[in-house]
Amino acid sequence: MAVAEQPISVPAPAKQRQVSQSYWSLVWWKFKRNRSAFIGGVLLLSMYVGFVLIPEFLAPYALESTSEYVEAPPTKLHFVDSNGNFSLRPFVYGMERKIDVKTRSRTYAEDTTRMYPVYFFTHGDPYKLLGFIPTDIHLYGVDQKSDPDAIVLLMGADALGRDWFTRVLYGGRLSLLIGLIGQVLTIVFGTVLGVMSGFYGGAVDQVIQRTTEFLSAFPEIPLFMALAAAIPQYWSQLTVYFMLTVILSFVRWGGLARQVRGLILSSREREYVLAAKSAGASDNRIMFRHLLPSTMSHVIVIATLAIPGMILAETALSWLGLGIRPPLTSWGTLLQDAATVRAIHTTPWELWTVPFILLTILAYNLLGDGLRDALDPYGSR
Amino acid sequence: MNEPLIEVKNLRVEFDVRAGVVKAVDGLTMTINRGKTLGVIGESGCGKSVTARAILNMIPKPGKITNGEIIYHRRVSKNGHGQMDDILDLTKTEPDGKTIRSIRGGEIGMIFQEPMSSLTPVYTAGAHIHEAVSLHHLTPVRKVGDQIAEQVTAHRSVTKEEARAIAIEMLRRVGIPKPDQRVDNYPHQLSGGQRQRVMIAVALSCEPAMLIADEPTTALDVSIEAQILDIMRELQQSANMAIMFITHNLGVIASMAEEIVVMYMGKVVEQGKVLEIFKDPKHPYTQALLKSIPQLGKKTRGERLASIAGMTPDPFNLPTGCVFHPRCPMFMAGKCDKITPQWKEVSEGHYASCLLYEEV
Repeated sequence: MAVAEQPISVPAPAKQRQVSQSYWSLVWWKFKRNRSAFIGGVLLLSMYVGFVLIPEFLAPYALESTSEYVEAPPTKLHFVDSNGNFSLRPFVYGMERKIDVKTRSRTYAEDTTRMYPVYFFTHGDPYKLLGFIPTDIHLYGVDQKSDPDAIVLLMGADALGRDWFTRVLYGGRLSLLIGLIGQVLTIVFGTVLGVMSGFYGGAVDQVIQRTTEFLSAFPEIPLFMALAAAIPQYWSQLTVYFMLTVILSFVRWGGLARQVRGLILSSREREYVLAAKSAGASDNRIMFRHLLPSTMSHVIVIATLAIPGMILAETALSWLGLGIRPPLTSWGTLLQDAATVRAIHTTPWELWTVPFILLTILAYNLLGDGLRDALDPYGSR
Repeated sequence: MNEPLIEVKNLRVEFDVRAGVVKAVDGLTMTINRGKTLGVIGESGCGKSVTARAILNMIPKPGKITNGEIIYHRRVSKNGHGQMDDILDLTKTEPDGKTIRSIRGGEIGMIFQEPMSSLTPVYTAGAHIHEAVSLHHLTPVRKVGDQIAEQVTAHRSVTKEEARAIAIEMLRRVGIPKPDQRVDNYPHQLSGGQRQRVMIAVALSCEPAMLIADEPTTALDVSIEAQILDIMRELQQSANMAIMFITHNLGVIASMAEEIVVMYMGKVVEQGKVLEIFKDPKHPYTQALLKSIPQLGKKTRGERLASIAGMTPDPFNLPTGCVFHPRCPMFMAGKCDKITPQWKEVSEGHYASCLLYEEV
């Protein structure tokens, strides 16, 4: 009757790794699923790389390289020549300038006898890539060495014969950076003052809150004008540029400070603040190590949605002549060039700046909107 | 062999709120001895937690210590050899000064009743312990056989690896399973009991001379409560740590404390050895309190559980004489509502403030 006890073979449980999804991995997962926000993010990333890091490479010419093609319209890219021959490599025709004696106006006509193929990764004006790699390779261009008359102006030329596309690229560098740097400063002002306001309460709170009210009640443009007027004329252009970012963020930290204050007001009553205090943490430590991090997701969203305002403010100020001044090139100064009725009539291609601004603002809004949803990964939707 | 660590003398804490002045603690005197557990019991709002916070000099606004002193016998080593007591009045320290901050957490640790929200949500369990240790520049990792290293805590900051080792060791000591994994968990990944253990680990990581436990197990279920109490007892013995155990759970206090302080409306009404108070309570309030817990094995069929009559008095308008007299079953008209009872030794080591034991 001895039944051999069969050892029951239990399959060894597959080694389970403890899977715990961190907050940020959930955020990333949710963000990726939001297509428009993802596109906005990719767009912005490529814009910042293209406009801020490598505009020298993307642009066919140097920023200050002038030509005799004053106010020339955009050159057309051709694939089929006048004889009906197809070439895979795009080419442009030479331009011939005519001056109408009666109307004293310039007109340009294509000279189909001169053909200039467009080369990629071609040699052109020398520059330093990323500020330190000397090179002269440009993304595209025509061979100017064999024929100095050859030129490619995808977006036309300005009153000094400079390639407009080149200028838009370089202008984007300052405009995009001013939004980013200015917003970083705003975050610093806004969160530090907001946290202090919420944590200490009382007199500190009163002073900070009344200051934000004062700043927000002040009409912005006159305030900018006064502050911009206070910038000495003899300062270098770069200093003026940085002062402008400081001024922009100085005026705009109030809203952020107020939101951070609200968040801190609710979390400073939590037990962990008391626990940190009883562990011997100083006020500064409690404010910036324990309370501030929990507001960061909120701050990131607010900041992302506020950057377009910053860029637009720079554009508006420069357009008014209060911000960046030539020879520095920003989208604001480019718009200023195109701001006359005459310019719109004779050189409408100078309005090419506008779609770039629109695209940037749109991308930021899409990204910010997506971030707002993604940073609350436990929320519905 | 009682060696005082904290002596609270005649402490008064007032809250100046719009409706008037509330005396949260009124003339409180008690002593916490080194290595011993003092239980503090009383109803909600009787000033237990305020007393605890007063010891760490962190009374929330608009509260203020208006009278009394809290003497702390601070043990300091003199030039590495020999130790002596430095006497410090904690009420006189700067509320956010260096002295009190080095005492908070470093020498007097505190754990709170809300384990759910006592950990900062953005930091891991290990990060909390790391912070506590690095705030006090301690290296409590002991070298085996090195007696001096055990006594002298080095005043240097810990490295990341050391902090991690300390954190894992502390989590292991408070009985958290798989401490090497849990150390990287965020508070929301831990259960309530685990969070409370992490809190205890944080409070104990600097080997404080005293631990203030403000209702540490109120929010936990009974089985976890028993584990936590075991851990506290064990750690107390190994580190010769004093515990001030605040609770309104009489069962817990009976198993934890050697001595008990009974508080009512900001005053100590009775104090004595735990067994004596449970066997022979002197103050009518203590008697009523003990009667109000159900007892196993006692024939109580048909009887209702006793409760203390009346409500706690309006804190703005305390009764004259003995504050307990409107609810007291032994109320003596003409005496209790006129005369404030004095602190009196009713038997050896057993004190009460009640007119029953005074000849008036």
